[in-house]
Amino acid sequence: MRAIRRFVPFLLAAALAFTGCGRKETAAGTPAQVLRLSQRNEPGDLDPAKVTLPDEFGLLRAVLEGLLRPGVDGGEPRPGVAERYEVSADGLTYVFHLRADARWSDGEPVTAAQFVAAYRRLLTPATAAPKAAVFFPVRHARAFVAGTLTDFDAVGFRVVDPRTLVITLEQPTPRFPHYVASGPWLPVRTDVVAKHGRTWTQPQHFVGNGPFTLAEWRPDQRLVMKRNPRWHGAAGVRLDELHFVRLDSADGEDRAYRAGQVDATMAVPTSRIEVYAQERPEELRRQPMFETRYLAFNCGRPALRDPRVRRALALALDRAALVDRVLRGGQPVAATLVPPALAGGAATSPHAFRYDPAAAQRLLAEAGFPGGAGFPTLEVTAWSSSQVPVLEAIQAGWKRDLGIAVTLATREARVHLSALASGDYDIGFVTSIPDVADPLQVLGDFTSGAPENYPQWRDPAFDAALARAATLADASARQAALRDAEDLLLAAAPLAPVYFNAKIWLLSPRVRGWEEDGLWGRCYDGMRLVP
Amino acid sequence: MFRFVTSRLLQSLLALFLVITATFFMIRFVPGGPFTAEKAVTPEILRNLEAHYGLDQPLWRQYLDYLGSLAQGDLGPSFKYPNRTVNEIIADKLPVSAELGALALALALFLGITLGTFAAVRRNTWVDYTASTFGMAGISIPTFVVGPLLVLAFAIHLGWFNASGWYGPTDRVLPVVVLGIAYAAPISRLTRGGMLEVLHQDFIRTARAKGASEFRIITRHALRGGLLPVVSYLGPAAAGILTGSFVIETIFQIPGIGREFVNSAFNRDYTLVLGTVILYAVLIMALNLVVDIVQAWMNPKVRLEA
Repeated sequence: MRAIRRFVPFLLAAALAFTGCGRKETAAGTPAQVLRLSQRNEPGDLDPAKVTLPDEFGLLRAVLEGLLRPGVDGGEPRPGVAERYEVSADGLTYVFHLRADARWSDGEPVTAAQFVAAYRRLLTPATAAPKAAVFFPVRHARAFVAGTLTDFDAVGFRVVDPRTLVITLEQPTPRFPHYVASGPWLPVRTDVVAKHGRTWTQPQHFVGNGPFTLAEWRPDQRLVMKRNPRWHGAAGVRLDELHFVRLDSADGEDRAYRAGQVDATMAVPTSRIEVYAQERPEELRRQPMFETRYLAFNCGRPALRDPRVRRALALALDRAALVDRVLRGGQPVAATLVPPALAGGAATSPHAFRYDPAAAQRLLAEAGFPGGAGFPTLEVTAWSSSQVPVLEAIQAGWKRDLGIAVTLATREARVHLSALASGDYDIGFVTSIPDVADPLQVLGDFTSGAPENYPQWRDPAFDAALARAATLADASARQAALRDAEDLLLAAAPLAPVYFNAKIWLLSPRVRGWEEDGLWGRCYDGMRLVP
Repeated sequence: MFRFVTSRLLQSLLALFLVITATFFMIRFVPGGPFTAEKAVTPEILRNLEAHYGLDQPLWRQYLDYLGSLAQGDLGPSFKYPNRTVNEIIADKLPVSAELGALALALALFLGITLGTFAAVRRNTWVDYTASTFGMAGISIPTFVVGPLLVLAFAIHLGWFNASGWYGPTDRVLPVVVLGIAYAAPISRLTRGGMLEVLHQDFIRTARAKGASEFRIITRHALRGGLLPVVSYLGPAAAGILTGSFVIETIFQIPGIGREFVNSAFNRDYTLVLGTVILYAVLIMALNLVVDIVQAWMNPKVRLEA
């Protein structure tokens, strides 16, 4: 016992000594303009031809700049390396004019030929870029990716001079600038890639053209980016450094935020939303995302073949109560599939889903299940236990309003996704995130045979309506045609939209000029810190 | 002794081969693959990806290719992290986990053996009850409760430490304490049990009769036999603690290999799954062999036989 008694003060002293130096280090080592952001996913890579997740592309935007940058909240894209562009009258040809003062971090000028070389690399089948599909509006790009076309000169890219790039499209695509502003269109230096191979994204090799340069990348720890003095807008950049601090969970983010280790989180644990709303309301932020969470109905299941049954299930969802009592983050309820920011306004469809238990009961009775009698017990599956409360609320609602019973099951994420793809499920909870801010991307998932057509639903009229909408050069006519197509989809109800996801997160009051859209597209150059 | 070691090594190689084979095929038969994503890729892109990673080859061919490169020490490229190989990931992350594990193990041995010994020597006194309570609490309260509680107290309220990260020496304190306590608890119970058994034996009474001091009896005579259960526990425990703890590394955001055991399976990062499994299997086998040798040295009744 004496030994223990002797040991305790020693331990305490050691702990105190340690903490003493720790605090001094942090206090002295932190320059004024260092913005520290929580990063939930370890980026797989920093190569636009390799990464897949929206937040990975969001991170890349600090060190790479595309021809165009995303607009505010899904709006018109803004100039990037291209200071302006022109569209031909038929909507098929885009001419991009590159700014004269665009430089890479090694001092080389940014040229049109480098953009084309980067796109050629990304589309080459051997590169196997997972997000090559966002280039498919470009003439013959899809055939080149598929390997049926091997001559890249036939693909719709043409370098006129070092500062002029012409892109020809397959068909008019009014939203094409949004594609150009998307993450996979960020340029890379193919000569740097050729020189260093897969390690070109290491800090010692990385060459970028964004407002920041990559200074440090410690996997699962942090990425440090420093202001790029060669960037054309460097004079206006106030931040000295950007730190992306890896944190695995919302709880971990919460603890790091409270301990003052990060200035912004990516999420807030559901249980803490109300605490922050009461105690620090100005720090609790809500960003609507271009992301719809919906229930997919497997139309191959006999009980779900009848659209009246599917509509009944979709109408018997009290979405407002779900958001208020279960999600508690103020997420917008989803009466339609396409997020409002992409659809050009709130839902107007006559088939939009509003909570209507009476209509739902009528439809279910018409389909042969009055009061739910004789309806088989279906299984509702999700990919994370965090969704169970949402599903339980839905389960209770269907029991109350329709008199039907469903069981709930959580599957591991990729097991869930592969079950959805192979049709091995009854009702699945799904999240839909488009690669590009284009409603066509969201609706295109439900064309016959599309890889994400999880309901296995087929309607030639919908396919034709969507194909027609896609070719319209006039933006408002296209928007209207897309709404008509969406209306066909909602009437048949192979899915029931539940809510539009929102990013509920924390931002320190010290941060000014924060800018982010619904696809994690951020503009870091205007951000700054105040004391 | 030599025959024992050679025969054990040969057995281990065979077991390793079986582990590799079973893991290789098991992970392939799990639904979903490395390219399964919320936004599904188009068929032509999927074909390109499969060709790029050799997944378009027949499975037996991929298996033989894997064994071939493994024989040259190459664990292959990672699917999730295209700019890193599995060898690089392990080389980068294992030292972090090993550092955390070694410090925690040292703390656990010191605390566990000290408490266990005091509990055995002062059996059925308040010392024993305190140590036993610590042992039960350490075993029963999981690290994912202790960890955040310590963070709340020492990082958020007192501000002594960072809540997470692995940058400076102070960042080692909380995770080492949490992990150390978790292992100290079973060690203290095993020590107490082992010591109680030994303290009643004749050779201890002889030592007492010869007038040896209590301190000398415990350190020179009793501990050698009393620690045998601890030593056999230490083999697999050390393999586990040195290859990292998923929970601790997640709570404290430590860039160790422990998280890769779990995340690589979620990501269907086939090569990284195999790499971590091989690493763990080799460590377990090596440490068990060491344990057998140490036990023979500590207890003359144990004879190593082939």
